[in-house]
Amino acid sequence: MPALIELTEITKDYGKFRALDHVSLKIESGVTGLLGPNGAGKTTLIKVLLGLVRTTSGHGRLLNYEVGRQAREIRAKVGYMPEDDCFLHGMTGVECVQFVAQLSLFSPVEALRRAHEILDFCGLAQERYRPVETYSTGMRQKMRFAQAIVHDPPVLILDEPTSGLDPEERQIMLNRIRLLAKDHGKAVLICTHILPDVQSISDSVVILARGRVQVSEKLSELSRPVVPALEVRLLGDSTRFLSSIRNRGISCEERPNGTLLLLGDPMTLADDVWKLAAECGVGVRSLTPSRNSLEEIFLNAVRGETHHE
Amino acid sequence: MSEQSPGAPPASAIDVMSGHGVNHLGYRGWNGKLESGGLRWTVIASVGIRRALTSSWLKRMLFLAWLPALWLAFGFFLWEQASLYPEWRDSLTPMMRMLPRTPAFDEIRESVSSGDFETSRHTVWAWLLQTFFRYPQGVGMVMVVGMVAPPLISQDIRSRAFLIYFSRPLVRVEYVLGKVASLWVFLSIISTIPALLLYALGVLLSPSLGVVSATWDLPLRIIGASVVLMLPTSVLALCFSSMTQESRYAGFAWFIVWILGWFTFAAATASNAMNGGQFTSRGERAAAMQESAWTHLSLYHTLGRVQSWVFGFSKLEDVTVSIMILIAITVISLAVLFRKVSAPMRV
Repeated sequence: MPALIELTEITKDYGKFRALDHVSLKIESGVTGLLGPNGAGKTTLIKVLLGLVRTTSGHGRLLNYEVGRQAREIRAKVGYMPEDDCFLHGMTGVECVQFVAQLSLFSPVEALRRAHEILDFCGLAQERYRPVETYSTGMRQKMRFAQAIVHDPPVLILDEPTSGLDPEERQIMLNRIRLLAKDHGKAVLICTHILPDVQSISDSVVILARGRVQVSEKLSELSRPVVPALEVRLLGDSTRFLSSIRNRGISCEERPNGTLLLLGDPMTLADDVWKLAAECGVGVRSLTPSRNSLEEIFLNAVRGETHHE
Repeated sequence: MSEQSPGAPPASAIDVMSGHGVNHLGYRGWNGKLESGGLRWTVIASVGIRRALTSSWLKRMLFLAWLPALWLAFGFFLWEQASLYPEWRDSLTPMMRMLPRTPAFDEIRESVSSGDFETSRHTVWAWLLQTFFRYPQGVGMVMVVGMVAPPLISQDIRSRAFLIYFSRPLVRVEYVLGKVASLWVFLSIISTIPALLLYALGVLLSPSLGVVSATWDLPLRIIGASVVLMLPTSVLALCFSSMTQESRYAGFAWFIVWILGWFTFAAATASNAMNGGQFTSRGERAAAMQESAWTHLSLYHTLGRVQSWVFGFSKLEDVTVSIMILIAITVISLAVLFRKVSAPMRV
């Protein structure tokens, strides 16, 4: 798959402070989660991509446009949803989205039509006719999302798209992002602190810490444990099942929550589990290949960086 | 859970659409024709104009700013009536008294008294137009810019709208041009357009269209005087607006520049007059104030001097310092403005 964003040795200094330290990464289509603790350089990386700040050194390309030098072309093809609560004072929601569409060179009438269409998609109903200053945090979030996608950009950069949303709206927002990526082929870079959001919709993950890329990998690869294993939850007394499985020479750990962790190839182990469960008279509640959680991956990446220093 | 029927939208689409009406179409791509890239600044200008026009005080001010044009239109009418009908010449006497006591205007008085209106028409029209720009519209400009300019950039800073603007294919020049253009529209409404209409009225009231050949330069001088009035003032006002998140501080700074400048100039000139003796007439006093070196303390009087040169009533060497001051104000204000506009991006 061709890389949509490719950065090579990007460094950005603010005076003596180094915000990005030789960042090199490739981002392909699909949804990519950009993670990192506060001050890791995520916002600076986004500003570099949009050409809002100049890099100290390094180079990169976004959709075959050179980062920095072809900033206007890049911004025309990118939809950016900022984290900050930014809005246009004294305008209604629909006027704000129409205005942004006009800045992307839509004619006034077409911009208005498109603004209504996108606000329908984003779930802003009659509120669209109210001044933006009167909006709740969630409404403003939806409006910023509408502004980011109104010009139908092939690349979306979303900074904390679900913050300030209630659980139901958060799920709907994630579904919208998923729909844009899967059904409409958009490349989405989602920058958030809410790890379950990234885990639920991302194909790849980039973890930044102290201005450096700690991890840049497919989520499926990252989730795969170092030693393959199978997590089993049983219904009934597991004592006989445990002794039987150990008699077969399979390593087994019993976790505090009652889950059994069987070390080995999950596919082979699954057959044994079904047979032994039937023999021992216990039910199998769940049977899942063991995976690393994103939280573990994130903490390891951030701590690893701390230890280096 | 019911099975999905053939032809129904994908499950993910249904999740997104939940809670919406039957007219909801989901996300649709867009592949239309875009407009020219050189027009982005007009979008910003149109928004600035629409936002400013929500103020009923501004609408009242724009209406009031046209009233002086009616008074000067009466001046054009009197002049042209007097040139056509000798019985109207007596009615010109008050107007002749208002003309400055300079050799050029003394010649005009003589030619009018002898009934020769053709040679002095250009000078009188230019004087009427300069009076219009310098006195009522100078004050009107201060009021209108003071109402429109302060929130133009400061509100964008307060609501962090810079991220909305500059995450689009927009450069700082287009942003600043859009903001300046919204001010220029209002300033044109109160100065350039009425002045051009006054000129057109003068042509229509004159004995023949041949006066156009004698006064063809006046429309150009009107545009020149408009540029002198608009450029430094609008850039200075936007510079104040870009330096704060609070519009009222920008407005305060704007008015204080004019008021303080005026009073300092008036105080310095009065002190000079007391030291150097009394003037024998109001005209003498006005001429002395016009020529006073202290005029440069007041932006209002500095503008007036340059406009006087634009309409041909001063020599270039007499207003060189004033021109330099206006250029310096424009350049410094632009430098601050561009720096302040890009500042939020650098953090």
